[in-house]
Amino acid sequence: MMRHIIFRLGTKLVLAFALCSSGSAFAGEGTFGWAYTLDLQPKGSWEIEQKLDLATGQSNGTYNLLKSRTGLEYGLTDDIQITGYLNAYSVRANKNYTQCDDWKRRCTSGFAVPGWASNESYSKSAIDGGSAEIIWRLTNPVTSPIGVGLYLEPTLGNTEDSIEARLLLQSNFLDDRLVFAVNLIAESAKVKFDPAETTYESMFDIRYGVSYRFQPNLFAGIEGRFHNDFSGSIYNAQTQRANFIGPNLHYADENFWVTAAWLYQLGGTCWAPGEVECSGGKVLDNHGKNQFIVKVGFPLP
Amino acid sequence: MSFVFKWSPFVTSAALGLTTAVMPIVSHSKIFVSIEQAQKLIFGQTVLTLSPVVLNEETRKKMKDASSVSHPFDSTHMWRTDKGEWFIVDEVVGKHEMITYAVGINADGSVKQIEILQYRESYGHEVAQTEWLNQFVGKTAESNMKLNKDVTNISGATLSAKHLTDGVKRVLVMYELALKNKPS
Repeated sequence: MMRHIIFRLGTKLVLAFALCSSGSAFAGEGTFGWAYTLDLQPKGSWEIEQKLDLATGQSNGTYNLLKSRTGLEYGLTDDIQITGYLNAYSVRANKNYTQCDDWKRRCTSGFAVPGWASNESYSKSAIDGGSAEIIWRLTNPVTSPIGVGLYLEPTLGNTEDSIEARLLLQSNFLDDRLVFAVNLIAESAKVKFDPAETTYESMFDIRYGVSYRFQPNLFAGIEGRFHNDFSGSIYNAQTQRANFIGPNLHYADENFWVTAAWLYQLGGTCWAPGEVECSGGKVLDNHGKNQFIVKVGFPLP
Repeated sequence: MSFVFKWSPFVTSAALGLTTAVMPIVSHSKIFVSIEQAQKLIFGQTVLTLSPVVLNEETRKKMKDASSVSHPFDSTHMWRTDKGEWFIVDEVVGKHEMITYAVGINADGSVKQIEILQYRESYGHEVAQTEWLNQFVGKTAESNMKLNKDVTNISGATLSAKHLTDGVKRVLVMYELALKNKPS
């Protein structure tokens, strides 16, 4: 089942990846799976980054949402980094919601699943769109007690258009081997994967993590997410709250880096008009009981 | 979720894509100088004698307080000349690997010369360039040595530049506390 999803998306992703690599450059080092640090590309340097992010397992049936992001990063200055992303996704869902329109039957639903697929299994793999990201580092955690940065990322896609802003905070200890990172995140999105309905949502999240370099090249740590969804584009009413936590592992040397991380949903709550998005004490929508990410980056000489 | 891994066309194409991606990558900043080479670069043909010392906890604490370097100092890689000059090898934490470097110290306790022995990072090979290392020449344990203030930073290698700066400070403080009055 998973092989099927990966296979369908894989060919497109690998093609994009290979095309990018045959050019001249590839991506900044991500110690955590989802939280950003202030480790940016030096001025004039390039890096390519590939992320595969899988949300899987809802209250029933099947739900796998695999998102791919292929990014090309560039150091505009030593403290400003810009990135362009090609986004793709693959979704496979079947009878994964326990309460649907009539509040009794099971149905197929969730992010990237259109309403017409409610009574059948649904799968789709597609290029979604693109994102542009800019990070401005105001203070460097290597030379300041607290590193501070600003992040902005507009996204245009078939499933949603969004704009996301982050305040990035980071403190390092023990010769910079111990890293604490906190991201305060605000996002506003126009959700349009269902041709019958376009909705507006907003989000406030806190992503946080700690990572320790326990030997040269190898970091391990934990990270978490405090997630809040709201209806409307400007936080009209809260519809979701959930907490996630899990481990991460990061390897890096002079030629490449790779990060793997897992988030487990501890639990969540939903409020009207989004009660249907909750089941078994967990939030569903584009979330799963588990979320995994693998990222790899190749700096160019 | 059950997932049985099997070799598939996707795996093949993924491997090909990954290989294509990695192929243009060549080794980045690798600098390797042996201890013997560094000794000759700093002291020429002057005879150096291995002279390890044992540092007590009080000395180590003062070294850490003065430099903020947490990584343990290995006091076994130390040589001296019959004129009271010292050649000391130390390592500090780099971005991904340890950075190994050597400090030549004059008989008056000032820095004679610094050489980078091992540096394996994606960026920042400039830390091994003479122009940057010459900033330390003449510095003593009493000298102010703060990155961005007393020592210029290196674009894209702030962590390496800071740790090397702090490491040199630690070596000089160690000289002042443990080597300055050591009988030959």
